[in-house]
Amino acid sequence: MSENNNDVLLKVEHLSMYFGRGKAVNKAVNDVSFDIKKGEVFGLVGESGCGKTTTGRTIIRLYDATAGSVYFKGERIVAGTGHYLDEIKELREKIKQLSSDSSDHSKEIDEAKERIAELKKEVSQAKKDHKNADRKLVNKIQMIYQDPIASLDPRMTIKEIVAEGLQIQGVKDKAYIEQQVIKMLETVGLVSEHATRYPHEFSGGQRQRIGIARAIIMKPELIIADEPISALDVSIRAQVINLLNDLCKSMGLTILFIAHDLSVVKYFSNRIGVMYYGNMVELAESDELFRHPLHPYTRSLLSAIPLPDPHTEKGRERIRYNPLTDHKYSTEKPEFREVCPGHFVRCTLEEFDEYVKKVQE
Amino acid sequence: MAEEKKLEVKDLRISFKTNNGKVQAVRDISFDLYKGETLAIVGESGSGKSVTSRAIMGILAGNAIKEGGKIIYGDKDLLKISEDEFHRIRGDKIAMIFQDPLSSLNPIMRIGQQLTEAMILKNKAARSESKKALGRMFNALDSKMKAAGVEDGREDLVKFKTFGAVHSKLQSEYTAAKDYAIEALANAENLVLRLENKAINGIAQDFAKFDHAAKGSISRFVVYEDAEELKKLLDTLKKEEAEAKKTKEYSHLISDLKRSAEIFTRAIEKDEPNTFTLAYYLAFVDKNIPEQPIAEMNEMTHKRIEVDYMDAFMEKAQKGVEYSVKETNEARKAAIKLLREKVSVLEKENPDVKETKAAVKEMKDAVIKCLDPLEVAKDSETHTFATSIDYAVDFYFGGFKKNANEEKRYNKQKAKHDRLTASGKTPDWEVAMPSYINMDAAHKDMVDTVNDMIKHFEQQLKNNENADYPARTLEVVDYLKEQAELSVYKITKSVAKERAIKLMENVGIDNPRRRFRQYPFEFSGGMRQRIVIAIALTANPDILICDEPTTALDVTIQAQILELINDLKKQRNLSVIFITHDLGVVANMADRIAVMYAGKIVEYGTADDIFYDPAHPYTWALLSSVPDLDTKEKLASIPGTPPNMIYPPKGDAFAERNVYALEIDFEEQPPMFKISDTHYAATWLLHPDAPKLQKPEVITERIERMKRTRGNNDVREQ
Repeated sequence: MSENNNDVLLKVEHLSMYFGRGKAVNKAVNDVSFDIKKGEVFGLVGESGCGKTTTGRTIIRLYDATAGSVYFKGERIVAGTGHYLDEIKELREKIKQLSSDSSDHSKEIDEAKERIAELKKEVSQAKKDHKNADRKLVNKIQMIYQDPIASLDPRMTIKEIVAEGLQIQGVKDKAYIEQQVIKMLETVGLVSEHATRYPHEFSGGQRQRIGIARAIIMKPELIIADEPISALDVSIRAQVINLLNDLCKSMGLTILFIAHDLSVVKYFSNRIGVMYYGNMVELAESDELFRHPLHPYTRSLLSAIPLPDPHTEKGRERIRYNPLTDHKYSTEKPEFREVCPGHFVRCTLEEFDEYVKKVQE
Repeated sequence: MAEEKKLEVKDLRISFKTNNGKVQAVRDISFDLYKGETLAIVGESGSGKSVTSRAIMGILAGNAIKEGGKIIYGDKDLLKISEDEFHRIRGDKIAMIFQDPLSSLNPIMRIGQQLTEAMILKNKAARSESKKALGRMFNALDSKMKAAGVEDGREDLVKFKTFGAVHSKLQSEYTAAKDYAIEALANAENLVLRLENKAINGIAQDFAKFDHAAKGSISRFVVYEDAEELKKLLDTLKKEEAEAKKTKEYSHLISDLKRSAEIFTRAIEKDEPNTFTLAYYLAFVDKNIPEQPIAEMNEMTHKRIEVDYMDAFMEKAQKGVEYSVKETNEARKAAIKLLREKVSVLEKENPDVKETKAAVKEMKDAVIKCLDPLEVAKDSETHTFATSIDYAVDFYFGGFKKNANEEKRYNKQKAKHDRLTASGKTPDWEVAMPSYINMDAAHKDMVDTVNDMIKHFEQQLKNNENADYPARTLEVVDYLKEQAELSVYKITKSVAKERAIKLMENVGIDNPRRRFRQYPFEFSGGMRQRIVIAIALTANPDILICDEPTTALDVTIQAQILELINDLKKQRNLSVIFITHDLGVVANMADRIAVMYAGKIVEYGTADDIFYDPAHPYTWALLSSVPDLDTKEKLASIPGTPPNMIYPPKGDAFAERNVYALEIDFEEQPPMFKISDTHYAATWLLHPDAPKLQKPEVITERIERMKRTRGNNDVREQ
């Protein structure tokens, strides 16, 4: 998308993640593309079950992607074969059809066969890439999980939890590990005495801090924060957001921030991607998105945000989104198009024209 | 409009006993809930919001200690009634929606069953309850009328009572016949379809069913004018069916069935008779049902009751009511005198057990005499006096023993601990701090109970000086009518199903008839929460407690559920207690808001007061830690964590985390300062001597902004 590849840290291309097979296939993530620039906070919002978390987990290779690829610092770290396999299948069927036809199609058949050979090479390349992705590089992506209670092993001390990543990486120098753990705990606002305690001795906000310390000890460049504040109390939410914000500045972190609370995402992110049922429906700078929400789903999402203001709340009208009546996808397949610089919407051509007009107003 | 108080919480104090000591979860909170309003309780986790709501529902954990206070609903103090009594209130009058819709539905029961189960059971209980209430009121009115010297009052009242039986007979006759008509219509249509398609295997059974249903539908209120024709049709149908078996010719059958279907359709569409007024008519005026079309009959019977009969009866009944009020007033005067005398026994420095108990017994007897049996709105203070005083006395005298035991335990454990440490070991357990009962508070509670009663009686005497007797009589009669109606209102399985389906429609579930037979796992999160709401509404509660109903849901679904609760509140005039930690959610819902911190209400006011003019630093902190869509600056988080409630702080509980804390905040607890008639806050900042402080900038800015946008809106509206 962006021409200037230098400052693109993470590039996600046509990423798909399907669960199940045959008829019962669940397209959790379907052809999602976006890129994250260095040093920015990219927000991913949508209702539960829309594939936000799956996207994050596929990027960090907790799932093997069905199709598409993810480039981190220019290197392919996730590669799925789905798209190639689909194309091969199509081509084979085409060949079958053509050869059963009476007239001469030998040229086309040859072309198709050539393409298949090419694709097969791509497939083996993708498999190789996926298998041999640089572990050191992938380690530069770390994740913070939603539930601070469930994501910490109750039988390990805080020191063990935080140091585990380093140990797995083969760091053997105990003094170094100790020093790093204490440094990280101090960075997230805990004290060194906490290192010998167990997770149950901490409050929710402190536990989430431990989760953050565990992630940043690996000196990551990208953090995938999967709803880090949803399970927390209001006052503690602010603490965690402030902490992430500070880390972002002091360590030059890039964050993929997954959440469903729009006012927090707006406050925290530079750019926001809105997902709906496995598809990215809108992507824009956060101010732009809130000023000109184009996709009807985004508008319905924005109209549902509760605000701490009784008067506007009482007069609020919620917009309902019904994909069957709001679009005419039966006649034309929607595509992800750029309505104005940096603002992408999934729409049909007809809708595209409408949106462009709207933006110009 | 005088607002009706639905629920009154007074000085509620609840603690939990734990291994480490007593956790004081709720400390002296008081609030009222009025009819048709939403009260939001806001606070961090652990501030005691859920404990309060659980106390109201009577589902506190086993280690809870109800240390004091009152939760008054109707004529009962919910803290002191027995579990049996609670069965009639919980779910029926006060319903609750829980946080997690996943765990509040039974996974192996169909949705329909879960919805109708309570309806049928509760209806059964309600019927017997109303029957008793009717009998009680009836007897009371009877005796008072006799005492007031009303002649032949007895006769009228007996009629009043017998009417119940007539009504139930009428109603069951009508509903049964109508059900039969509906069934017969469906059977007839089914038969026509089968005959037209020549699918005649085992059709004889269907004919038998149809015949049975059709005969059942003949009644005064359903198939009446066409009854003769229907009877003839049924006879010919029988003959034709036998013939058709041989000839395989069905056209006659079909045409006759169609004709009968018309009769049933007409019967079903008929007006519904007003069984209630008709039953009055049958009981009082004429034993025979008048020969009139149903609509006219309804009007006639209605007029008979409301005008002709009621006026005469009301006059008589009023005499009874007047007599009763005067009698209770006398009893009250006597009771006040006695209570004043006897309270001195309790007020002594160290009251004697025997003496106190004897005095209490006398007091109880005197107070019970002050109950007006003809009072419809139950006088809760008088009703609960006996249990309250007993509880207070037992608590006080039991306290000595408990404190002694506690002391013994503590000393024993401490000695053991000391012994171990002295011998150089480090024991892996700690000595739990002793949890003493505050004897002064217990003593004061005991005396206050009596003094409150005296005050209450004085107030009542004052109120009764200019009593409006006709209005009171009307109340009594309305109550009798209502109970009579309720005592015969029966919910059958089919009625329950129809109601459940209607409820499901109300809460926004598509295709309820199909959904009725599904299991919870076939529903999404939002849909499940809707079902939970529907279940809470089955018994038509007065009060709905929502304990973080949307925390487990995401934004769009949250907005839907909030809208739903708001709509239902308006439709049914519900009183809602809405518990949440998200101030954004509350802005939309609440009429009034109580902000809780460390087991206390720190600020209390209307939604406008709290959002546009917050006064307590904790409310400021809560408001400023939520970003809104225009927030750019660093979020103000609340430093630290809530205090350990085993050792609640001496001064203001929030002082340690409060950047605006004054010195006195650490020393003494602030009282509730009044800001306006509706707005109260417990912070020393409001004391006249306190330094004038500005609210945090974030909040003032936001309020300014909100006012601006609101101004714009107003202009636009004009």
